Amino acid sequence: MDSTRAPVAFGRWDVPLLFGRLQQPEAAERLRSLASLCDLMRDPERLYRTVTGGFLEQLLDLLKDEDPSVRSRTCELLHLVTAHSIGRQAVLSSSLLPPLTQLLDDSSSSCRINTLRVLNRLALLPAGAESLLYLVPQLMLKLQQQDKDDGDDGDEEEVLLLSTISCCSRLDALPALASDGVSLLGRKLTRRSPEVRREAAASLMELSIPVEGKRQVCEGAVLPVLIGLLQDEDLDVRTNAAGVVMHAAIITEGKLRCLHLDVVPVLLDLLSRQPEEDERSKALVLYSLRALTALAEAPGGRRLLLEQLPLLARRTEDRDRDIRRAAQTAVRVVTWTP
Amino acid sequence: MASSSHGHRHSNGLYTFSSRPRPVENSRDPSSERAEYNYGNIMYDRRVVRGNTYARHILPTTAQPDPAETQKQIIKKRATARKQAWKQLRLTTPVALQGRKHIDVQTELYLEELSDNIVATHKECQTDAFLDKPSTPLFIPAKSGKDVGTQIEEGELFDFDREVQPVLEVLVGKTVEQALLEVMEEEELACLNAQQRAFEELRHHELAEVERLQEQERRHTEEKERRVAQQKEVLKKERETAEKIAARAYTQQYLADLLPAVFTSLRSHGYFHDPVEKDIEMNFFPWLMAEVDNILEKRYIAREMLDTIICDVTEKSLEEFQELETQSPRNWQI
Repeated sequence: MDSTRAPVAFGRWDVPLLFGRLQQPEAAERLRSLASLCDLMRDPERLYRTVTGGFLEQLLDLLKDEDPSVRSRTCELLHLVTAHSIGRQAVLSSSLLPPLTQLLDDSSSSCRINTLRVLNRLALLPAGAESLLYLVPQLMLKLQQQDKDDGDDGDEEEVLLLSTISCCSRLDALPALASDGVSLLGRKLTRRSPEVRREAAASLMELSIPVEGKRQVCEGAVLPVLIGLLQDEDLDVRTNAAGVVMHAAIITEGKLRCLHLDVVPVLLDLLSRQPEEDERSKALVLYSLRALTALAEAPGGRRLLLEQLPLLARRTEDRDRDIRRAAQTAVRVVTWTP
Repeated sequence: MASSSHGHRHSNGLYTFSSRPRPVENSRDPSSERAEYNYGNIMYDRRVVRGNTYARHILPTTAQPDPAETQKQIIKKRATARKQAWKQLRLTTPVALQGRKHIDVQTELYLEELSDNIVATHKECQTDAFLDKPSTPLFIPAKSGKDVGTQIEEGELFDFDREVQPVLEVLVGKTVEQALLEVMEEEELACLNAQQRAFEELRHHELAEVERLQEQERRHTEEKERRVAQQKEVLKKERETAEKIAARAYTQQYLADLLPAVFTSLRSHGYFHDPVEKDIEMNFFPWLMAEVDNILEKRYIAREMLDTIICDVTEKSLEEFQELETQSPRNWQI
């Protein structure tokens, strides 16, 4: 038999027995039981039985265990539990969140990563994002710490942190803005790994939805970096950067700054470069069109875009309905006279 | 009265009695007629015993002894008396002669010592404490029968490769099933993720559109308001200037003949004065008047004095005349 896994009982007794084994004083025994449980939890039926049997409360003690591998395995187990909505609801309604947040500052990195994974999954749910909103300042602090030790292995943590922050900010961006999110994320935009850049740009996009965020984005030195990112290799990074530009260009100050930074040709270039049938570049095309529409409301932008009208007109015959609509709006705004 | 007697079988449909339960009859009242049972409350019956019964003198139920009982007792007494008498009548050994004693002697074959002392010795017996029960010896039955040996050679019992196939199939099948489940789960998650992402993108760009339109509206309304405010300002200014002009013209016209009027009124109020004239008026005239007053006062005083003198004189003359008159009529009467 596999020595890293505890033996599993048959039928309905498997989960309760393994949970009973978790009370044993030996750490190795607990680790083996946790490994078996992780395997079992992929089955939705067992997951349902675990959740309704109220076994999750026993994980509370395990989260404060001395052995770091036990802790990280427990977080992995929770990660599997949150794969289903019933598990997510159970975790949210139980008192497991405070110990989890304590584990964020744990010494072992695998434990931290697993905790972040759990929080990430929880944040995908709107109710979860609401519960995790109070954590956003702490997460921002952690991001700042990550900034200081600029290593390649901290990337996964950063990615998870950033994606959790962006999910929470989708609900309410004010806590992140209050803890100086814009400048912090602006620094992250220049990291080496494309995932970090993508997630940072996505978080910035969420943050730039309220007016305060837009103003901060325009005031800070973030816009030039974003416009540089518009020519990044990764498609998602480009998409998210275009999204941020789109949001920022809505307020007047944003318009002026964007025009000042000469963003119109870049966007037009993006539009003309995309192959028309690519499914994933649809978002990029949409965002660029909307950004151009916003910029066309300023007289300078309108003048520039009047010259490029045929390019926009070409997009109005696109197959996709949304792109067509967006292009029509753009053309209408460009040709509007007071 | 006891119409219901023993042995009366009364069928109720449910139950049959050999002796139907009936209530206790009250003491017979000879005067009243008996048509039906007249039973009284058993609690108030004088015949029922009340209270503790362990200390009561139990009277025999009947006052006189039963004759049958007495007969039996008498018979018993007679039997015991008879037995006693018979015992006494039995032949006993005659009394010993004088000087001799009867002694009991054993006449059996073997003499026995008869003594009252019973030889008794104490003997104790006790099982050993904590002695384990010795293990039962192994029961080895005696050997019987013939010795026979056997051995299973390889390949005789079953063919491993053939037999292991179904087991393997089950194992592999289960593993594959589990793997498929996990893969499907991941696919489902990825699908959900993709859907979420698509929704997010749509939401973002619709949001951007909405915000842009909002901004546009806001700007337009602001612009409109500013223009309207400007217009209002202009109108107000125009009105003000018109009013100012009108006011100016009016005041000018009003003030035109104000000036001479003012002057005249001032002059009439004596604000323009000749200082010499004023001085004369202020200083000289009062003094003059005062002097005139004095002089006139003196004249008055003089006049008054004259008046008083004249008055005195006339009074005196009147008196004199009166005196003269009193004298004269006398004179006249003569």
